[in-house]
Amino acid sequence: MESDSQLVARAQSGDQQAFAELVRHYSSLVFRLAVSILGREFIPEAEDVTQEVFFKVYHAIESFRGEAEFSSWIYRITFNQAVNLKARVRFREPHMDEVVLYRMVSPEPGPQRQAETAQREQALAECIQTLPEVYQSALRLYYWLGTGIGEVAALLGVPENTAKSYLHRARQLLHGLLKEKGYSCD
Amino acid sequence: MTEMEPREADIDSLLRRSMAAPIPSLPPDFDQRLLREVRRTGPLLDRYRQILIAGYGLTSVVASAVVMRGQGLDWGAIAVMILGPLVLVATVSWSLRATHRKMRHSAD
Repeated sequence: MESDSQLVARAQSGDQQAFAELVRHYSSLVFRLAVSILGREFIPEAEDVTQEVFFKVYHAIESFRGEAEFSSWIYRITFNQAVNLKARVRFREPHMDEVVLYRMVSPEPGPQRQAETAQREQALAECIQTLPEVYQSALRLYYWLGTGIGEVAALLGVPENTAKSYLHRARQLLHGLLKEKGYSCD
Repeated sequence: MTEMEPREADIDSLLRRSMAAPIPSLPPDFDQRLLREVRRTGPLLDRYRQILIAGYGLTSVVASAVVMRGQGLDWGAIAVMILGPLVLVATVSWSLRATHRKMRHSAD
C-alpha cells in the first residue's frame, strides 16, 4: 500500500493510475465532508462538489508542494467549495424536506405525539442552520453520518480536542436556542 | 467522549434520535465516471491553455521589442521595460502568498 505522498509524487509526474488511486481513497471522505456542510437536503449538490474538488485537485496537483498533508489540502478545498456552493443554494427549494426524512426513520405512535415530535425536530433543524459552519458540519458528521471524533477532526483539519469542543459548544448553543423557542430537550 | 452534564446529555440523545436518517453514498460508478471525465478534458485543455498563454506572451514581448527598437531605444532599456513589470508582478504575487500563509498560520 503506497502512502499519499508517494501517490501524489507519481500523480505529479503524470501517472493517471496514481491519481485514480487517490480518487478511490478520498472520494467517499470528500463526499461525506461535502454532505456534512450542505445538509441532507442537498445530496446531489454534494456529489457535484465532490466532482469539482477532484477536478481542482487534478489541475492543481503540480503546484502542491507537500507543506501540509495531502488529506488536509483536499479537505480544505472541499470545505471552501461546499461553503461557497451553500451560499448560492441557500435560498433554493431543497430536494427533500428534512422533516420528511426524519419521519422516514422515526415513526411515532399517536398523531399528536407525531406532530409534537415533528415540530420539535423542525425547530432543531432550524437552530442547527443558525450555527457556525464548522459546528454544523461537526454535528452532521458525528450524529448523522456516524463519523468518529478522530475522523471529524481530520475532515475539519483541527486537533481532536478542538473537534470535541466544537460538538460541546454546538450542544450548548442548541440547548439554549431550543429553550428560547419553548422546546425541551428530553 | 468525555462525561456530559445532564442538560448536554439530553440534547445529545435528542440529536441522536432526530438526526438518524439514511446515510447517503456516492453512486457505485462515481469514481469511473469522474476519472473518464478527468482524462477526457484534463491534459488536453491544460496543454492548449499553456500553449495559448505562452504564445500570447512571446508575441507580446517580440512586438513590444520591435516597436520600441523602431522608436530608437537601445536593447538595455528595452530589456528593462519588458522585464521590469514581470519582476514586479512576480514579487507582488510572491509577497501576497507569503502574507496569506502567515495570516493562516496565526489564525490556526
